[in-house]
Amino acid sequence: MKGKWIGQPIKRNEDPRLLTGQALYVDDVDMPGMLHAAFLRSDYAHARIRSIDVSAARARPGVVAVYTAEDMADFWRPGPLIVPPPRNVEGIVFHARTQIPMVKDKARHIGDPIAVVIAESRYIAEDALEDIVVDYEPLEPVVDMERALEPDAPLVHDDLDSNLAAHVVQEKGNYEAARAKADVVIKRRILVDRGAAAALENRGVVAHWEPKSQQLTVWDTTQAPIPIRNGIAAMLGLSEHQVRVIAPFIGGGFGPKIMMSQPEEVLVPWAAMKLNRPIKWIEDRRENFIGTTQERAQIHDVEMALTRDGRVLGVRDVFLHDTGAYDPYGLTVPLNTQSHGLGAYDIPNYYTEFKVVFTNKMIVTPVRGAGRPQGIFVIERMMDLAAKELGMDRAEIRKRNLIPPDAFPYRQEIIDQAFIELVYDSGNYLPVLEKAMAMIGYDRFIEEEQPRLRAEGRHVGLGLVTFVETTGVGPYEGARVSVESSGKVSVVTGVGTQGQGHFTSFAQIVADQLGVDVRDVRVVTGDTAQFHWGTGTFASRGAVVAGNAVKAAAAGVRAKILKLASKVLETPEEELELVDGQVRVADIPERSISLGELAVMANPLRGAVEPGTKPGLEATDYFGPQYGATASGAVAMIVEVDPETMMVEIKRFVIAHDCGTVLNPMIVEGQIHGGVSMGIGNSFYERLVYDDNGQLLNASLMDYLLPRSTDMPRRIEIAHLETPSPLNPIGSKGVGEAGAIPVPSAFAQAVEDALADYGVEILETPLSPNRLFELLSARG
Amino acid sequence: MKLEGEYVFNGPREEVWALVRDPEVLAAALPGAQSLNKVSESEYEGKMNVRVGPLSGVFSGKIVVSDEVPPESYTLSVEGRGSTGFAKGTGHVQLIDRGDGTTLMKYEGELQVGGKLAGVGQRMLETVSKSMTRQGLESLNQALQARMAAKSEGQEEGNYTPPSEAQFAAAVARDMAGEVLSSSRVMWIAVAVAVVIVVVAVILISRGGG
Repeated sequence: MKGKWIGQPIKRNEDPRLLTGQALYVDDVDMPGMLHAAFLRSDYAHARIRSIDVSAARARPGVVAVYTAEDMADFWRPGPLIVPPPRNVEGIVFHARTQIPMVKDKARHIGDPIAVVIAESRYIAEDALEDIVVDYEPLEPVVDMERALEPDAPLVHDDLDSNLAAHVVQEKGNYEAARAKADVVIKRRILVDRGAAAALENRGVVAHWEPKSQQLTVWDTTQAPIPIRNGIAAMLGLSEHQVRVIAPFIGGGFGPKIMMSQPEEVLVPWAAMKLNRPIKWIEDRRENFIGTTQERAQIHDVEMALTRDGRVLGVRDVFLHDTGAYDPYGLTVPLNTQSHGLGAYDIPNYYTEFKVVFTNKMIVTPVRGAGRPQGIFVIERMMDLAAKELGMDRAEIRKRNLIPPDAFPYRQEIIDQAFIELVYDSGNYLPVLEKAMAMIGYDRFIEEEQPRLRAEGRHVGLGLVTFVETTGVGPYEGARVSVESSGKVSVVTGVGTQGQGHFTSFAQIVADQLGVDVRDVRVVTGDTAQFHWGTGTFASRGAVVAGNAVKAAAAGVRAKILKLASKVLETPEEELELVDGQVRVADIPERSISLGELAVMANPLRGAVEPGTKPGLEATDYFGPQYGATASGAVAMIVEVDPETMMVEIKRFVIAHDCGTVLNPMIVEGQIHGGVSMGIGNSFYERLVYDDNGQLLNASLMDYLLPRSTDMPRRIEIAHLETPSPLNPIGSKGVGEAGAIPVPSAFAQAVEDALADYGVEILETPLSPNRLFELLSARG
Repeated sequence: MKLEGEYVFNGPREEVWALVRDPEVLAAALPGAQSLNKVSESEYEGKMNVRVGPLSGVFSGKIVVSDEVPPESYTLSVEGRGSTGFAKGTGHVQLIDRGDGTTLMKYEGELQVGGKLAGVGQRMLETVSKSMTRQGLESLNQALQARMAAKSEGQEEGNYTPPSEAQFAAAVARDMAGEVLSSSRVMWIAVAVAVVIVVVAVILISRGGG
């Protein structure tokens, strides 16, 4: 549904402010009398706290307060279970152990907060941390997932019988029966390790209590301002209307900033009220490594049953999922892995079982991709292995198994992260795969280029994968659209923005509805004083759920405009059109009235109005999809491996994707670029290394490698294909995580292909030059 | 992290034994040690300044000597904590009489570190530990020479000046650079660094004056 604005590569409304340094970030908030907080965090992965002596820290000049769990008294309570487990999965086991504000009995991971110092400056606060004496009794930590489930393993939570946090079994069809009929069964163990979200801006909170107005204002780098407002109000015993949470411009979310009631988010507002002073806390990079949630570690034992001609009859995947020390985010991540374990393929039988394991490591919650990259990595690697086993072309085996276009809506018969049956709403997968193949020149590369380069002794390889991405899940979002007397339009919504371009894409939707210039639409997100309802920006849902709420509200305003204009212009509504900020009679364009004049008429200062009249050209509306829309895509890439250094160079990178209606191709491409760079990080650079004692060994950007511009492909070649979703009026699907999901599987395949003469099989991600060297050495 | 190695002392085994069991000598010889007090026959407590890459801070801790077989072998357990983290380790030390008036020390141990030291200092940790061990042993050997020389002259005390902390730090830096670069290049880097320091100093001084 292209419009004058929708579907156009409009430059972003927010960029002038961002590029000229006029955008407010949490750390820009500065207030007279503001204090600064610093947290003391556990150096041990697992240790009982015998005592904490804060007397020296309290005595340090400039220190205003030092708090431990004991000082919190009744305010100390475990945080909320943000996502409960689905009730409609039979036999589900789930033990909720949610994040605590500060350690009371024992520290369960490196970075567990033990005390907070509030001081006149961050420098003083940090110095005072060194004055605190903690008497630790080190306990044996559990780091390895399999070790954690052994009967004699130390317990992360002493009140549980084991370190098992959850157990879920789901089945579609009957895998065992399918296996009995199969010609070929392939079995492998596949590993995915941990990575960080590593947003450019770390987390931060500023809290300000005004006793005279009894108002608490909290600036927070959150992806979910409204739920956090509600949580803070509940904890502090305030009305939700007394708490205003502002999520201003944020330098990247990527998942961990959805986490609610994190220790810092709870403690800073609590202390601000207690001390009657504004308090700021800005996370430093090391804290971000040890105090911000992470993702991805899983161990899969997977089996694929096929016929000789390459039809997949069934998949059996049993995996362990590391949740770290707590599981406040429920089962979202492993459920996403389950629901992406069949990828874009029509596979009738699927047995999927996972165990979630507590370990003495940082908590795991969604990070861009949120379980999806793992599912896609497993199914795509198995497809490659099956192709090899059957002597088939890897593109051919994929083509034979893709879900056909007439099979939509395609039921997967398992429950997904939205607690309803996973259904792929729409798609057309084969053209997407073929597009990627055409763009990379698949046949020519395989038949001509690769043999030629190999003959020259070069190690070049190609990766070709497909993927799906469940996006745009409910429950709902809302928006309010108003035409002001200036004729300009205001849009407010409850979601927050961390760089997704909402100030532009939402404006485009409204501009098309109301016939105004996109630059005349001012969008406000992430301020709970402006809009009271909503959930947040995550799960690739902003453009889908909030976008359609914006459209619904704009449609409501359009109806009001037409009704009023019809009276004023004495013309039936059907004969009116909204163009250039005017309502005019379609046949007689000079008979018109501006939206601004209409807005004034709709909000009279004197005189009588008809009973039942609602003032203003304003409407509020909500949107909640029946279920999530599933986007799809294919990635093709060519790499070259230097056998001396084991460095991998990405020579070409192609992605064809279908996210339904594209609101703004430039923004979609930006999302893909970011996702791809994260995917490349997850493939070859980014790995959080924990030692046997649960110590994070690379807790700095010196040692945790993020891909740099020189590690990126020179160009990311993108093709947009559009199969509109039938689940929402715009027809959109999410794209926020698309780039990150397929890259590790494509990268592994390409590297394996490049090293074909070494016969190495890659069953893990992330890789690294030294890991490749080890794999090759093991082959001898 | 594993620490193991060998070192030859230019002196008889009994002298080396006496030396490594003398807290005052140890405190002087250990890089960064600020104090070391004997609390019992087999236990020492002390403070040590540890510097690894961007991190530095005072560690306080204790050393326990066990399984003593004078003058042949002993086991050391070390535990220290500070603002930059903690370290814990055990090591086994053997003294072997080489029959030519020298003594071979063999040591092997495990060192566990945590906190910032592990998370931020990891990359430098092994080199720094090895460097500190080597330097500690070298200065012990010098102390041994001084002590033996004094004895032969019939004096009570040896005339040994332990290296300063700055000398230690410089040696660690040299070892770290040596890990990645050949020695000739180290010279050039040292020269380059010196030039930069001088330039910065000049700028700072001139700004301070203006």
